[in-house]
Amino acid sequence: MLLSLGLAIFPAYALSRFQFRGKGVMGLSLFATQMLPKAMLVVPLYAIFGQLSLLNTLGGLILANTAFTVPVVTWLLKGAIDGVPIDIEEAARIDGCTRVGIVLSIVIPLVAPSLAAAAVISFFHGWNEYVLAQTLISQEALRPASVGLASFVGELSTPVHSVMAVGLLYTVPAVVFYLFVQRYVVAGMTAGSVKG
Amino acid sequence: MASIRLSGVTRAFGPKLAVNDINLDVADGEFLVLLGPFGCGKSTLLRMLAGLENVSSGEIWLDRNRVDQLPPSARDMAFVFQSYALYPHMTVRRNITFPLIMRHHRWWFHLPLIGHLAKRRIERSPEVRGLVDRTAQILALTEMMDRLPKTLSGGQRQRVALGRAMVRKPQVFLMDEPLSNLDAKLRTAMRGEIIKLHQQVGGTFVYVTHDQIEAMTMGTKIALMRDGVVQQFGTAREIYTDPVNTYVARFIGTPPMNLLAASLDGSAGLRVGEAVLPLPSSLDAAARTTPGGALLVGVRPSALSIEPVGSPGTIAGEVALVEHIGAESLISVRLAQARTGHEEEEQSRDEVMATSSGYSDLRPGDRVGLRPDLAEAVLFSAESGRRVAAS
Repeated sequence: MLLSLGLAIFPAYALSRFQFRGKGVMGLSLFATQMLPKAMLVVPLYAIFGQLSLLNTLGGLILANTAFTVPVVTWLLKGAIDGVPIDIEEAARIDGCTRVGIVLSIVIPLVAPSLAAAAVISFFHGWNEYVLAQTLISQEALRPASVGLASFVGELSTPVHSVMAVGLLYTVPAVVFYLFVQRYVVAGMTAGSVKG
Repeated sequence: MASIRLSGVTRAFGPKLAVNDINLDVADGEFLVLLGPFGCGKSTLLRMLAGLENVSSGEIWLDRNRVDQLPPSARDMAFVFQSYALYPHMTVRRNITFPLIMRHHRWWFHLPLIGHLAKRRIERSPEVRGLVDRTAQILALTEMMDRLPKTLSGGQRQRVALGRAMVRKPQVFLMDEPLSNLDAKLRTAMRGEIIKLHQQVGGTFVYVTHDQIEAMTMGTKIALMRDGVVQQFGTAREIYTDPVNTYVARFIGTPPMNLLAASLDGSAGLRVGEAVLPLPSSLDAAARTTPGGALLVGVRPSALSIEPVGSPGTIAGEVALVEHIGAESLISVRLAQARTGHEEEEQSRDEVMATSSGYSDLRPGDRVGLRPDLAEAVLFSAESGRRVAAS
């Protein structure tokens, strides 16, 4: 999740602010990756990960999940950055900020609500992810919670109480995370910087 | 403190030249106002000075340094935006201190906690704090140093923006219509503030506006622009009394200068409509440089006196509108025979404006005679619109 935010903020800024060749194509292709069903991508991904010996490692799983969330988050943040008045950035440039400095000390605080929203999206994506986790991880000890929860459902019997109990535990981190993030999801941070 | 020299500065957006071959010399300590209508390139020129816009061709010199290829931060200029562009997530104090923090900036300032502490240390260091407090005092912001910009009124935000520019002690202050978002009363007050600031702080100011009152009152020099070209560059007085062309003449002054179509009538004088006016010696020589040519006489409304209809040497017309503004009355007169040289799109195509002091008893429909005071008039060529002067 942190990785996908960190990876997404700079391309989002670039897509929002710079004019470059292939900008439209790049934006669209980010979208296009979302159009392919994950089930279809799992097999080639498995093959690639096998070659890179990333199978059965949590790092590999994180990488795969990040690859799926980055495009969404990039688009989300691009929209937010579009809303930051360009004047503020120009003021920062005149005050001596570098481009990276502008992104880090001006843009990020201003898009904090969207950043929080993006964090929620990418967190829950990773948390609820099942297909990749099931495919890429076969060692019992490395299984993430979603797969673990599903493994309670047996072929012959389903111990409803255990599934319910584990399901409840499974939601706790998600709820905590959401409570932590939701206070940042406050709109109107940029209100008042520029009259209008 | 620095002088600015622009030579051949041009900015093209595609085939269109937003700023076309501008040459200006601004001396140290000057208050230059770039004046012009919407879209004349004045803001683009200012942004090129600041480095926010690339220069297509030409050179910008600051004292003896060429700066047109330098990044904005290296030019030592402060910019005040029309929208103020305050950092909304920072307090007023941090907003004003920000340029000073950036001066000591290191990459590790971006690290979450360490950077925060480092920035706070700079903010609290005696010299920075003293400077910021002094600035705040000048701008009467001391009370609201810990508030966020969104809780401030327009005038206060404007002052914060000025403060952010002042603490840097820049060579040049650039201002892009900083007063246009304020209401009329506040604007007058802030206008005075900025003039005082210029006197107190010194430094070279470049100020963009479309408001001629601001330009006339604030500028020690005015550059009047149109379609990316400087029409006239001079002091407010020069531009008012000696406009170089009809555009400048009509742009400056409220109500604008009247332009009356005229021609030279032998040796008798100047023929305007049905009236023949004796030419004063000051204009005589100038008028003779275009023998037989069509002329435009520029007469300020204050130099147009209203007399009973039919008085000798007056231009007949009919009162179209009377506006009382207290100390004087503005009277629009529709001309009977004489023609004006006003632009096609203007509503007052065949009307001239005259002012008379006090409360005028005239009513729309009254027939009057107008007597222009040619001693205060200027002559333009009707063809080119340029000023005709005795060489």
